[in-house]
Amino acid sequence: MAARSTSALSTTTEAILEVAQNAAVAAVAEQRPIRLVVRDDELRRSRITVFLRLLLAIPHLAWLLLWSVAASVVALVLWLAVLIEGKAPGSLHDFVAGYLRYATHVSAYVYLAANPYPGFRGAPGYAVDLEIDPPARQSRWTGFFRLPLALPALALAGALGSGFTVGGSLGASTYGAAWLYAGAGAGATAAFLAWFAALARGTAPRGLRELVTYAIGYSAQSAGYLLLLTGRYPSSDPSLVLPPAELPPHPVRIDVSDDLVRPRLLVFFRVFLAVPHLVWLALWSVAGLLAVLAAWLAALVLGRVPSRLHRFLAAYVRYATHVAAFVCVLGRRFPGFTGRESSYGIDVVIAPAARQQRLKTLVRLALAVPALVVAGALGGVALTVAVLGWWSALVTRRMPEGLRNLGASCLRYGGQSSAYVLLLTDRYPYAAPVLHGPPAPVFEHLPPALPGDAF
Amino acid sequence: MRSAVDVDQVFGTGFVADARHYERFFYVDWVLAQVALIATLWLYSRRGASFARESAAGPIGTGMLLGMLGLGIVWLVQLPFRVALHWWARRHDTSDTGYLDWLFGDWALLAVEFLLVCIALVIVMGLAQWLGERWWMPGAAVFVAIAALFLLVAPYLDFTTHPLRDESLRAAASRYERELGVGEIPLRVEEVSETTDLANAVAQGIGPSRRIVFWDTILKPPFSAGEQRVVLAHELAHHSQRHLPKGIAWFALFALPGAWIIMRATRSRGGMGTPQAVPVALLVVALLQVATAPAANWVSRRMEAEADWKALEVTRDPGSVEALMVDLSETSFADPDPPEWAQVLFGTHPTLGERLAMARAFAARPPDPG
Repeated sequence: MAARSTSALSTTTEAILEVAQNAAVAAVAEQRPIRLVVRDDELRRSRITVFLRLLLAIPHLAWLLLWSVAASVVALVLWLAVLIEGKAPGSLHDFVAGYLRYATHVSAYVYLAANPYPGFRGAPGYAVDLEIDPPARQSRWTGFFRLPLALPALALAGALGSGFTVGGSLGASTYGAAWLYAGAGAGATAAFLAWFAALARGTAPRGLRELVTYAIGYSAQSAGYLLLLTGRYPSSDPSLVLPPAELPPHPVRIDVSDDLVRPRLLVFFRVFLAVPHLVWLALWSVAGLLAVLAAWLAALVLGRVPSRLHRFLAAYVRYATHVAAFVCVLGRRFPGFTGRESSYGIDVVIAPAARQQRLKTLVRLALAVPALVVAGALGGVALTVAVLGWWSALVTRRMPEGLRNLGASCLRYGGQSSAYVLLLTDRYPYAAPVLHGPPAPVFEHLPPALPGDAF
Repeated sequence: MRSAVDVDQVFGTGFVADARHYERFFYVDWVLAQVALIATLWLYSRRGASFARESAAGPIGTGMLLGMLGLGIVWLVQLPFRVALHWWARRHDTSDTGYLDWLFGDWALLAVEFLLVCIALVIVMGLAQWLGERWWMPGAAVFVAIAALFLLVAPYLDFTTHPLRDESLRAAASRYERELGVGEIPLRVEEVSETTDLANAVAQGIGPSRRIVFWDTILKPPFSAGEQRVVLAHELAHHSQRHLPKGIAWFALFALPGAWIIMRATRSRGGMGTPQAVPVALLVVALLQVATAPAANWVSRRMEAEADWKALEVTRDPGSVEALMVDLSETSFADPDPPEWAQVLFGTHPTLGERLAMARAFAARPPDPG
């Protein structure tokens, strides 16, 4: 009885903390000068417009191309104005802001984050919209060096597959390159998969939609910074999209308890320090392959993975996550070699073995293909985070929190994907780049997945 | 300074002076690098243990972290000295490798070194946790076994060489193998001429993995066919005289007391079973390396001299040996008669002057009555 009371108290406390945290996140998000706002939660998509989405977008893309050329010229004038006056003139600011808003609408439409056909004027009020503060004073120095300063943010936006805002802002000459750039990232990958899902089901998977909106939002922040709409550097913190996305209950979640301090010596030699772990992980992977074959057969026969196999595979997933967190500078300390639970600052918490549907088990690998594709794209994001975080930590001795949280959310998806493939759960991974869900789940009583929760 | 030949006359006064000037830079750089190394490791042995708090691994994992960090710090501290050496080598055309290529090649090597340090620490710390202070006896034995295994296996892991195609050299090899009483030994070539003008050949492997690898630079002019045969005979002699297994035996002689010294030195930090002892162990290993270098070099010089003599016996061509020494000195810009102390500290081979003197002594000996 006492134990139950304690558990209830703990759950309540966590719920309060979660609410407080969400409120704090919302407050921080509202303070940012460029904010992505998701105005409707509509996931239904008209199949015919989905099927023809790219063709329907052609007029918008042509118009965006023209607008990009004009915005590039105006941005040059803005740059001179910031250098001379330390502030962007209101009319020019509004023109570029309108362009950026329009690019966001088009990106959201093409990437299936929104359903309505957008207007051509970039007027506020679209389903996935951008709010941009009026012009404020900016440092002339950061204005002068804006392009080199924006490069890390642009690199991350590229890895995220950012839509049309970044490339378009650089002008017509780079527009084609922006297509290729955006086409290779996580947002574009999510949109590609969402296209098939929306055609099949008539709804966009929520996780994929949230991944796309996050990518578009970050891209818009980066473009706004590059185009001198604000002097505030973009934040990659996934919780800054409004309203903040939330993880649905899942048997695999990530626990981030690490601080942000990174001793320089450990940062500088990070990859080399990881060499023994990478060798050990490779050896463990061989054993893991054999174990998952045994688990697959057992799950087909028994309807669940035996506890010992489950523990072994869970330790493997945890260890792989610890190593990835260490390599990507997301974790501070040198991880252990056993994948022990709660032994590392970025940890994957995996629920005990539960019953699984035999049919899902039989075709698990085929079902996992889309998740693995997304995991690969998010792996690219994590790699970019690692490179940027490495430099940042080397200079400042700290990992930027936004980068850390984005990287951790990529690892969370990677962990969920691995757990799905390795038969630790039959719950599909959730693609939205968020860390926190509702209060700590009681694994035995997980609610069934809601429609749209998949991905 | 010790050879019986007048090196100025054979190699040319100007060349000898230039070579001495070239090598003097190496000596100064080496001394400074060693001072920096020991000072750094001394500091690390006092402060390095504090990095243990950056580890979430157990004692052995933490020991691995401290070992790798020590290696990384040493690499950083040594980097300026190594850059200076590379600059000097490029300036004198003994290396064509660009700085970036050199640095990135070095990164790969560093990763391998990190892994080797980890393996060594896993063995030592595992044994120390199991056996306490008695770890040093089996520890030394394990390292000797690993060295022997490495010697056996390393040739099979080489994918950068190709078989020697020179028919005349292969025919000479068959003759020399019969005379030296060794079986057929594969002859291979490594292409290095794009990165260096240095010439070299090495005997590798033991038992079934024995082989000889020529750098392609030694198979081209200015080295004549006679000189190439001398090199071939020299390397075959290493195999016929079992120098590589003997090298392992010598290593065992050094390893046993070395391990005991490490055990004693780390006792105050809780012994090698605790990660805090690892920085001290690194310092002791570095000191042991410096201290035992003269003895190890002496052993190596004896073996090289023996191989030289055997090569003279089977080729019966002291003229080619003399020409080889002159050509080697020119391509490597080596001082044919370095100072005694430098030979003690760095000389793994007899000096070119001594080798020349040996060839002349061979030529001057009375004819074999047989």
